[in-house]
Amino acid sequence: MTASHTVNVVLDDALLTLNRAVGVLRRRNIAVAGLAVRPCGPAGVSRMTFVLNTDAATADRVVQQFHKIAGVRDVEVTTTQDPPNEEQP
Amino acid sequence: MSETLSGAHILCQSLVDAGVEVLFGYPGGAIMPFYHALPEYPRLRHILVRHEQAAAHAADGYARASGRVGVCVATSGPGATNLVTGLATAHMDSSPVVAITGQVSRPMIGRDAFQETDIVGITLPITKQSYLVQDAAELADVVREAIAVAQHGRPGPVLIDVPKDVQNQKVEFAPSVGAQHAPPLHAAPDDAIRRAADLIAAAKRPLLMVGHGVILANAYAEVRALAEKTGMPVITTLLGISAFPEGHPLHLGMPGMHGEVHVNRAIQRADVIVGIGLRFDDRVTGNLAAFAPRAQVVHIDLDRAEIGRNVPVAVGIIGDARTVTGQLVAATAARNCDAWRGEIEGCRRPPDASFRGGMSPEAILTAISDATDGTCTIVTDVGQHQMWVAKLFPYRRPNTHITSGGLGTMGFAVPAAMGVHLARPGEPVWAISGDGGFQMNMAEMATMVQEGLTVKLAVFNNGYLGMVRQWQQFFHGKRYSCTPIWSPDYVKLAAAYGIPGYRVQEASELADVVGRANAHPGPALVEFVIEQEANVFPMIPPGGSLSEPIEAAV
Repeated sequence: MTASHTVNVVLDDALLTLNRAVGVLRRRNIAVAGLAVRPCGPAGVSRMTFVLNTDAATADRVVQQFHKIAGVRDVEVTTTQDPPNEEQP
Repeated sequence: MSETLSGAHILCQSLVDAGVEVLFGYPGGAIMPFYHALPEYPRLRHILVRHEQAAAHAADGYARASGRVGVCVATSGPGATNLVTGLATAHMDSSPVVAITGQVSRPMIGRDAFQETDIVGITLPITKQSYLVQDAAELADVVREAIAVAQHGRPGPVLIDVPKDVQNQKVEFAPSVGAQHAPPLHAAPDDAIRRAADLIAAAKRPLLMVGHGVILANAYAEVRALAEKTGMPVITTLLGISAFPEGHPLHLGMPGMHGEVHVNRAIQRADVIVGIGLRFDDRVTGNLAAFAPRAQVVHIDLDRAEIGRNVPVAVGIIGDARTVTGQLVAATAARNCDAWRGEIEGCRRPPDASFRGGMSPEAILTAISDATDGTCTIVTDVGQHQMWVAKLFPYRRPNTHITSGGLGTMGFAVPAAMGVHLARPGEPVWAISGDGGFQMNMAEMATMVQEGLTVKLAVFNNGYLGMVRQWQQFFHGKRYSCTPIWSPDYVKLAAAYGIPGYRVQEASELADVVGRANAHPGPALVEFVIEQEANVFPMIPPGGSLSEPIEAAV
């Protein structure tokens, strides 16, 4: 069942690390609603925040992939809202 | 006391400091400072390949056979892009490879300079970590960290891209002395071990499935102890072959698309499956929805992302295969599964008739096994011969079966076998290829001759890209589109490289020719002329259930 999952990834502020993190989404062609990267806490650390509209299993598989990236320090997911209305006009 | 060294010298010295002994590579413009420094480091043996892809595969083969990191070197641009298939192969099969590439000088990066390519960007999805080194002062730390990252945890390839001016940059050199920060081999929590042990104790039809992780973790003794204590029959995946002794009464064979009928039936009837160091890939499971419908799965893997990724698990344990399996051995009670084993054995079929007698795969592989007293390491390519070897070769020693599993890279066997030979000098190494895969990297015969690498080359020649032809026969109305493949005269080809070459067309010649090729003190080639339209049976159709094998041609 599709829901919105807000994912917070705390990672090294390094372009290659960010590139790998975005690559996890790009490779799986996962639709992302909103993507923000900003400094977080101590120097050299960033927080990447994005929203996935997908089912819980897919969201979990994506999160597990982030844990594997060298330079990723923490990953948190919150399911923020009920499933969106999937009816299209 | 520190000294002033160029980046190229630091690179070489750091490899020496890390214990690296062999490099597989090919020089070119952007890596020339490194090659200029290299002769000053005689501890580093360089193997000049004939194509950079071979360097990556050879480093991969070296890594798999030695358990240590394999290193390959290439220049920028085409040199670097030629490594890509090898890095992807190593990535899919969790092999610790470090690739060092030259890059154009820093001021030229991003200007489409001659032989410039964004190799870090190109390889991002197929490397565990990568570095674009900006300062020679970073190099010693980068090399140390790269080698550690490649080996620790779930192994994988790491790329170090070094601009030419960084190789020439002179800086004060101090060896990198930081800790190797090997992650501790965490034991599994007691409650998870307890739940797994309870499932095994209560099971009527338990199975043990072991994969590459058992070989990587050197967990042979623990897996054998678990199997023998609990009586669980053992299945070895393609990359798990040789992790458990062939011929052991508990050994069933390989599962999946070309798995034996009794193995796949056992999976479909099992009530508990204990999977160690495998990832339940689609060639193992067939149609996931129909896979092991009655089984509760205990999945042990070092990579938390693999737990439950493909198959739902009852108990998931993240940890080192050796440590966790040892815990399980201690936690389980001795039992047997004789009734269950009897049920499975009742489903066992004799090998397909096409596998036996004459110039059959079994006859050829028996000849190779006999000639080497069963001690050789077999390196296979991809296709029908790979499946015949996986199903029929009587492996007696751990980690003596090396193949490209996940990526399925044709052309892997010949160069990877060079790496295996260097990791295991003095031991027999046979590279077995089809006529398609052999022709992809056969130029490496020149490398073997120049570098004195004793690899025996077996070519299973059926005049077809056999596995594709088999799929065309089964699923594409026998339209053999672009699968007939011409070969050169392999005996004359071997002669052109100055190595012995043999063609075997009669079974009566097998033992003699294989024996002579094996005894020759250097590389030798044997072409085996086999049945043109032989098939690999049984076969689960792609996307099909393990319960529905094709057992004969229609």
